[in-house]
Amino acid sequence: MRIGLYLGLAIVWLGIAAAADSAPSTPPERPAGRQAQAAQNPIERWNEMSPEERERELAKLPPARARLIRQRLRLYNSLPPEEKQALTERYHAFSQLPPDKQDIVRQRLREFHQLPPDRRVTVNGEVRRFRSMPEAQRQEVLNSQEFRARFSPTEQQIIRDISTLVEAPKQ
Amino acid sequence: MTCPIEKGKPELLAEFAAGELDMETASALEQHMAGCGVCRTRAAEHRAVWEVLDVWEAPPVSAEFDRRLYRRIEAEARPSWWERIVEPFRAMPLRQLVPLTATTCLLMVGVLLERPGLTVPATRHADTVRIDQVERTLDDMELLGELGDAQPAPRPHANVM
Amino acid sequence: MGVAAAALDYDAELMLRVKDGDSASFGQLLDKHRGSVVHFLYRLVGEQAVAEELAQEVFLRVYRSRGSYEPTAKFTTWLFRIATHLALNWLRDWRHERNQERLDDGPVDSPYRRIYDREPSIEQQLVYQVNLDQVRRAVAALPEKQRVAVLMHKYEEMEYTQIAKVLGCSESAVKSLLFRAYETLRARLAHVERS
Repeated sequence: MRIGLYLGLAIVWLGIAAAADSAPSTPPERPAGRQAQAAQNPIERWNEMSPEERERELAKLPPARARLIRQRLRLYNSLPPEEKQALTERYHAFSQLPPDKQDIVRQRLREFHQLPPDRRVTVNGEVRRFRSMPEAQRQEVLNSQEFRARFSPTEQQIIRDISTLVEAPKQ
Repeated sequence: MTCPIEKGKPELLAEFAAGELDMETASALEQHMAGCGVCRTRAAEHRAVWEVLDVWEAPPVSAEFDRRLYRRIEAEARPSWWERIVEPFRAMPLRQLVPLTATTCLLMVGVLLERPGLTVPATRHADTVRIDQVERTLDDMELLGELGDAQPAPRPHANVM
Repeated sequence: MGVAAAALDYDAELMLRVKDGDSASFGQLLDKHRGSVVHFLYRLVGEQAVAEELAQEVFLRVYRSRGSYEPTAKFTTWLFRIATHLALNWLRDWRHERNQERLDDGPVDSPYRRIYDREPSIEQQLVYQVNLDQVRRAVAALPEKQRVAVLMHKYEEMEYTQIAKVLGCSESAVKSLLFRAYETLRARLAHVERS
């Protein structure tokens, strides 16, 4: 009897709350023509958090590291729109790779960063060239004497892995 | 026209450079400057400042600006679970509300005693990102950004970072 | 500014419609003023991401105040008063952080600069970058009120009367602020090569 009374009143109470008009005001309509960015990477989701939530997360870090992350976020957020879009798309493709492939890409990119500037330009150009080749032709070039003479073993690996694992930006 | 510098009104030269003087005053000042090298130089310097300030273009507003703003507005407009429960009872007169509240509280105590594990679910913003996730993404973005593999993008004017 | 004069201010009309529940009018106000508010804040605080964050807060406050809005001044006066207030508070709160960081948003060794090759020539880019750097530093070095006045006058093309209302001072005080600011900038920037 007692439990029945509790249940009955609880149901009535919750029913009133559910039937209540819950929206005190209608948020404004979004004007037409402003399109949202496609990929929601963690940094974009971070930007959508409230300032209080972001500060709470940053407060978990030592001050120097938090300061560095703020600076890096500012750098990213201040990119021109087309560059940010290209980078976002590239990151999205990268994030779809299996974890082991992602590790390979990270390793190759770190090796790429270690190259002297003139070698980076050359390797970069070769990556672009490889992307436009069919697979059979790519293998042929990779195995050629000329290719092996032009590029060190590390550079060869960078070219092979980056051209296959990292997508070119959409034109 | 008397020399504005001698007259203690050098701001006229800045206003002239900014194009803010009326035609009559501007014309009179031009005539004066034809014979006054000091005023001519000062006005030219103000003009130079005005032009060099034009170098400072502001970046375009990000495409997500509106979406982020509307999300914040919607988040503020959304009532909390407590407000949804209290709302139906706001208009109730006090003589009804007091005994109802007292009865409800007693019943809630009874329910809780029967079911001690009942708790209010913690609310959490669905899209909270941990700082370590952000840091890892920044690491990856910076690595991917090293790879300059696009053709130069057509630009209407110089826009160096 | 009396209510009658505000009837000529189309923005105030839109805001009154927002007060009456017309949400599309808020979108129109946002479309119209988003750019100028963000750009003003960007030049004041020096960072695009912070400027957008503060600008969001500006429009949030506008939206929150819709119920009690009264057109006692031009809409843009109100808008820029909120923006100035928020920006100056931010500068005061974060000045110690900013002193430890570079003034520029984009240091030369940013990892993202290698994404695209850029036109025009390297020399022109350097000249542009140096000029931009000097302009930003010169304006940032101005006292707060002078800086705000210059940004409103030069970049937002606001009139003296409106700047005076935003800053809460007289028109003659604004003219004096601007003159001192431009004199300082003349001393620092008149020699800068224009590209």
